[in-house]
Amino acid sequence: MKPRLNFEWLHGCSGCEIALLNSGELLFSLFQLVDIVHFPLLMDHKYIADPGEEGDLSLPEADIGLVTGGVGLASHLKILTAMRRQCRVLIAVGTCAGHGGIPAMRNQWTAGQTMETVFSTATTDTAPVPDGVPALLDRVSSIDEQVRVDVCLPGCPPRPEMIIAVLEALIQREEQRLPHKSVCETCPTVRTGKGQATIHRGTVRAAYTPGEPLDRMRCLLEQGLLCMGPVTAGGCGGRDVPLCLRSRVSCRGCYGPVRKYGNQLLDMMNALASNGIDYRTIIDRTSLLRFSGAHGRLRPKGERK
Amino acid sequence: MKRAITIEPITRIEGHARIRIDLDESGRVSDARVEITALRGFEQFVIGRPAEEIPRIVTRICGICPWMHHLAAVKAIDGCFGVSPPPAGNLLRELAQVLAHIHDKILHFFFLAAPDFVLGPESDYSVRNVMGLVRSEPELAARVVRMRQLALAMLERFAGKAIHPVAGVVGGFARPMDAGEQRDLLADGQVLLDFACQSLAFAKERIFSRFVEEMLSLGSVTTGFLGTVDAQGSLRLYDGLLRLMDPGGGLVEFPVEEYDQFLAEHVEPWSYAKMVYARSWGEGISLDSSQPRGIYRANTLARINVCDHIATPRAQEELEAFRELFGRPAQGTLLYHWARLIELVYACERTLELLADERIVEPLVHHVVEPGAGRGIGHVEAPRGTLLHEYATDGNGCITRANLIVGTTHNVAPMQLCVRQAADRLIGNGAADEEILNRIEMAVRAYDP
Amino acid sequence: MNWDAKIIAFCCNWCSYAAADLAGISRLQYSGSIRIIRVLCSGMVHPQQVLHALDKGAAGVMLIGCHLGECHYLKGNEVALARAEVIVDTLEDLGYASERFELTWVSSAEPERLVKAFHHMIARLADLDRGSPVFTAGGAGRLINET
Ligand code: SF4
Ligand code: SF4
Ligand code: SF4
Ligand code: FES
Repeated sequence: MKPRLNFEWLHGCSGCEIALLNSGELLFSLFQLVDIVHFPLLMDHKYIADPGEEGDLSLPEADIGLVTGGVGLASHLKILTAMRRQCRVLIAVGTCAGHGGIPAMRNQWTAGQTMETVFSTATTDTAPVPDGVPALLDRVSSIDEQVRVDVCLPGCPPRPEMIIAVLEALIQREEQRLPHKSVCETCPTVRTGKGQATIHRGTVRAAYTPGEPLDRMRCLLEQGLLCMGPVTAGGCGGRDVPLCLRSRVSCRGCYGPVRKYGNQLLDMMNALASNGIDYRTIIDRTSLLRFSGAHGRLRPKGERK
Repeated sequence: MKRAITIEPITRIEGHARIRIDLDESGRVSDARVEITALRGFEQFVIGRPAEEIPRIVTRICGICPWMHHLAAVKAIDGCFGVSPPPAGNLLRELAQVLAHIHDKILHFFFLAAPDFVLGPESDYSVRNVMGLVRSEPELAARVVRMRQLALAMLERFAGKAIHPVAGVVGGFARPMDAGEQRDLLADGQVLLDFACQSLAFAKERIFSRFVEEMLSLGSVTTGFLGTVDAQGSLRLYDGLLRLMDPGGGLVEFPVEEYDQFLAEHVEPWSYAKMVYARSWGEGISLDSSQPRGIYRANTLARINVCDHIATPRAQEELEAFRELFGRPAQGTLLYHWARLIELVYACERTLELLADERIVEPLVHHVVEPGAGRGIGHVEAPRGTLLHEYATDGNGCITRANLIVGTTHNVAPMQLCVRQAADRLIGNGAADEEILNRIEMAVRAYDP
Repeated sequence: MNWDAKIIAFCCNWCSYAAADLAGISRLQYSGSIRIIRVLCSGMVHPQQVLHALDKGAAGVMLIGCHLGECHYLKGNEVALARAEVIVDTLEDLGYASERFELTWVSSAEPERLVKAFHHMIARLADLDRGSPVFTAGGAGRLINET
């Protein structure tokens, strides 16, 4: 019998799922590898067993559970808990699930401030903010802050072949081998060891000769562009070069920190300072945590402990 | 006995939503609504960020159409900083956008919606999905999967990252296209166009013909429509004038800068999604299904309704045939699917047009940009409707204020009406089996929310 | 003072740890809140370790090395000085008061100076924590309307 799989999404964008659906043949291998028993994006299994009636949230039992997105609403917590209960192995898929991802940027404000802002934009009619909906949690957390997670697979979105590889390894009871390299270690640009002492604004574009391969372009950090390659987990390009670099654009850290509990802001500042680069030329440093603001990294402004 | 039926989650859509139907003592529907149950707060957390970073942040609003948010934002920030891209920059942006439309439409039609039609709305939930489709129509499924992958590969070829893209930059596009890429993409584009035409033929023969009545009746409501056209009144996806049609077919046109005069957003306590309505009609908004007010729709059918014609030949042919059958404006909710496939044909033809433009390989793809204070509004037609981003920046070029009107939100109010209509029609005596509930969901799925 | 917080003090082996040793021998008193971690050189303490200590609940972190020019690895304390700036700025970004970190220099012959630095830090942190902490660790997932 094939292993059964539950696939849920929480506080994310569905990009993780779409990446998987885009993967062509790989998608068929997923269908062959497992029996999908619950997957709201693709199939009509509902939370409540008796069609249409009120009741407790129920999910099928499964051998493997995949969860994308972090936890931002009371309803996410309920679904996540049910997933943990019903799945023997739980996998956090994507940077949101593992580190909070972009939605955790809201941790720099209180939930109340966020509601206030969203419901008072120029074109919004004056009305009380919605209250008949699942409540916002005070901050967005990664799923491993809430329940035990067996494997964390980063990426925004992760590469589908990584998802499949993890599932295969799991099914064959092999050891999980996730890459521990940084983006820089997979980047072929030319490094001379000497670079700009300041960091430009993001409006400055990379200098390179069009038509020449990436291994003839100077490292973007050395060109004075803020590239987060040194403090970001590698793998976005698969066996090939990092994705953003293919567009000659610098890395913004979407795979999260190289080590699970690394801190992209602190590590980047440290890397800049140790290389004699004036980190104070960066405006809005908290943007460096845009993909990994969970785990208490980002906090409301002015709130110090 | 009074009772409530909850369909949660609405499945085979993108995102989190549920349907709640209230029944009175006699088992008749007394209220029905679609509740959008997610809120992330982008308007809040873009504040204070260097504006040029925004196009790389707002992509995460939606993983299905990150290109739309990427491009609407990049256009808005162009406005804040007072730059406009060179010709190649604009052509490359639009090419990326139409390619993204292509893979979205294939996804929505075949992966999410088609199981209802090909396998039947009454089939068991365990087979009424893309996995079931793979088993019952393996050849079609394999082809669909390959075509999606092809559209994605084309995007990656010249734009690097296809999901959560980075190639649109303030002032233009990140890198030029070379002649080799242009040649290969033209060949691939032809493959997509053939597939698009075959898809439409397949759908007409195998699906639409069988469901015509359903298409006109299920979730049917009468509303206005919003879309984008060029100065000649032709369908546009990347830029142009907004055109708002009232339920009677009357048209007004306005530049996107004036959107706040024409549109406003209404808040209900039971949904995180704001409901956009036509402020300029001066009648406010009412969700009362017997007498709705202020409600218009966006997305495929809306665009097909508001445009006078489509500037590419095959899509124009299809548009004429469509109008022949359903008139203008066509109101049937399930006709969104049909309109979607017409747009798919247009997007493929437009891909070839853009690639045939010699300027697309020019090396100058972006202009120099100086961050500063300003206000900018960017808009594109996203698969799910007209998408608007507005930002204001301070002297440092950092965001002080943001307003986002996301494609789906135009259709939130009409969705209420459709679900109410479908529920009224299908739940006669309080009995609601799985098939009936799925049919109600189909009214939502048409909008691809 | 009923203030039982812990303060982690990274002391370099050659100067400040020696000073701490000497303080012990000379029976100089300092609070049990101070927990010394011996490192070979102040230059080897990564900002991440400072943050980790705070994340784990330390009230403050001290980094204590040899006087400038006297590092036994020549430039280790200069590295520490550069990092200290990063730490101070970044702690504020991460929502910690920058007062929770302190860098200072002590030679092996200055146990009084070391003890004074400890007293100083304790007083500063006790001051800081007089009002109760606003952000409780492990509070993720709290419902906003629960508080
Ligand atoms: S990790 Fe990225 S792609 Fe996945 S849900 Fe989060 S934002 Fe979307
Ligand atoms: S800093 Fe950026 S450009 Fe330089 S090597 Fe690392 S990833 Fe490549
Ligand atoms: S280069 Fe960096 S930002 Fe770009 S995809 Fe890779 S990890 Fe993400
Ligand atoms: S050995 Fe004491 S600071 Fe380097």
